[in-house]
Amino acid sequence: MLNTIMKTKLFGWVDRRTGAEAIIKSQLTEYPAPKNLNYMWNFGSLALLVLVLQIVTGIFLAMYYKPSAAFTYGAYTVAFDSVERIMRDVNFGWLIRYMHAVGASAFFVVVYMHIGRGLYYGSYKEPRELLWIIGVVILLIMQGSAFFGYLLPWGQMSFWGATVITELFGALPVIGEYLQQLLRGGFAVGDPTLNRFFSLHYLFPLLLAAIVGGHIHALHVVHSNNPEGIDLTKPEEKIMFHPYYTVKDAFGVAVFLLGYCYFVFFNPQAWGYFIEVDNYVPANNLSTPAHIAPVWYLTPWYTILRSFESKLLGVIMMGASLAILFALPFLDRSKVRSARYRPVFKQMVYLFFVTVIVLGYCGHSAPTPTLKLVGQIATTYYFAFFLLLLVVPKFEKTKPEPEGI
Amino acid sequence: MKLKQLFIATGALAAALFANTAMANEGHGPALKHAEVNVTDQEQIRRGLTVFSDVCMGCHSATYVTYKDLMDYPEIGLTREQVDELRGDHALTEGMRTGLSPEDGEASYGKTPPDLSLIVAARRGGANYVYSILTGFEHDPAGKIPDGSFNEFFPGNRIAMPDPLAWLDHDEADTAQLEQDAQDVSAFLAFIADPHQNERRAIGCWVMGFLLLLTLVLWRLKVEVWKDVKH
Repeated sequence: MLNTIMKTKLFGWVDRRTGAEAIIKSQLTEYPAPKNLNYMWNFGSLALLVLVLQIVTGIFLAMYYKPSAAFTYGAYTVAFDSVERIMRDVNFGWLIRYMHAVGASAFFVVVYMHIGRGLYYGSYKEPRELLWIIGVVILLIMQGSAFFGYLLPWGQMSFWGATVITELFGALPVIGEYLQQLLRGGFAVGDPTLNRFFSLHYLFPLLLAAIVGGHIHALHVVHSNNPEGIDLTKPEEKIMFHPYYTVKDAFGVAVFLLGYCYFVFFNPQAWGYFIEVDNYVPANNLSTPAHIAPVWYLTPWYTILRSFESKLLGVIMMGASLAILFALPFLDRSKVRSARYRPVFKQMVYLFFVTVIVLGYCGHSAPTPTLKLVGQIATTYYFAFFLLLLVVPKFEKTKPEPEGI
Repeated sequence: MKLKQLFIATGALAAALFANTAMANEGHGPALKHAEVNVTDQEQIRRGLTVFSDVCMGCHSATYVTYKDLMDYPEIGLTREQVDELRGDHALTEGMRTGLSPEDGEASYGKTPPDLSLIVAARRGGANYVYSILTGFEHDPAGKIPDGSFNEFFPGNRIAMPDPLAWLDHDEADTAQLEQDAQDVSAFLAFIADPHQNERRAIGCWVMGFLLLLTLVLWRLKVEVWKDVKH
């Protein structure tokens, strides 16, 4: 079909002015990709799909949503009311909002799988360092977007989550207090906070879209890694992206949509993991919920924060836990990419995945002394993983890599 | 990682999540009673509406549910005459609000009775929680909290709401009726917390059916396209 379109007069007219045909050929139909990519390589295209879903549903939600903390009836506010009006009165508003709310969690599921794949198969290594770094920037902006978005319904968890997180910035020396007030637009989370968070929640995804463009461009310069982690030199080791990977990605999309739509239509709150129970209670600055926790996708970092007695140290280490991802390509100097041929790294990276899940569990649960200790041990390994990578290549006996695939 | 391994890993993660959820729902006081609640049962929801308007609305509102909604939602489907009788002087587009002012509520009970539009969504245990609270008024075994303020299922056991169905010390003969009332109103509240939930599930079945077919087709297509690739 694409070929038919590209032969039309209209396309020719456009092509002479844009070079569209060359772009389509080099980036899609004749873009060579390794033939041995496994299903872990589907999560990149899925992430792009969810980004588009989030932006489209978000645009429609913004047509009805009103960012105001002014009281209406009882404890309800304009913002809370507008969300309920979307849920009750807007035609298929419930569908759009549940797609957006479930989409936020789906985005992180997909992106965490994507990052995990990059870690396991050494996709962050030379020549893909910058590709990885752009990816980390995307992760940070995503986390920011999600955090801003969670304030908008103006429920209890929105309010208290934002209060706790903005308070962190107050722990920084000298600029802390100023930064905290700048974020909140005042001394406490309130109407100005809601307005600026709404503004930023609209801005960040647009930044995200632009940076994702950069991520894909960077990928198409250095090309995909593959499960063997070796450089592919022979032309027979590659296949055209279209139709091989377009159809494989389409199949992946269908499987993903099965899971996504199950949650959207049958379990949108996901037992309180996607939309917390407390967020159906309107925000009340006089009543703190018994247990404040961020949504699941931010809990690993929340545990790192809570693992330190000093608030300042906790904030610094939480920042460091994300910042260290930028340094990963330069910490790990092993020439072998894929964990398949790195026995020590393979054990380490599996333990790292378990550690992040444990950190997430600790951050989601109400704090107990045992969980705190578990969280501290997990935090230690989180950082140890990255620092050990400095020395592992010195003693690790890597297995011989294949010549080709 | 092959497709099979990916599915196994996903399944294991889902199981872990589920186990975690099961644990998270425990450990908050006594286990909740199970309410027989059916949000597709028009009879039960209507009976619940009657309990709500006769009893609960003395103090509580459901402001997100308008009188017009009582006609428009097929799960309730009252006639115009029935709604007119219920609403009195209130406009059709008004939410169902109590006549008790917040100030009077605070003066009488120490706190403003919360709006119940979202109460089932806003409490762990949902409809089971509401049902358990309504039938949870007992004599304090420790004898500290006075009768009428002790509720077995309320966090901390001291509840500001007086026993609305007169559950405490009721006659044995009334038990079945009171339990039924409590379940009916729980069903009504479960329905209004998310009034498009039945439509959502109905559409969801079609969506899942379509996606299953699509997945099957794309899977065969993928296999067909890839059959010449040795990898």
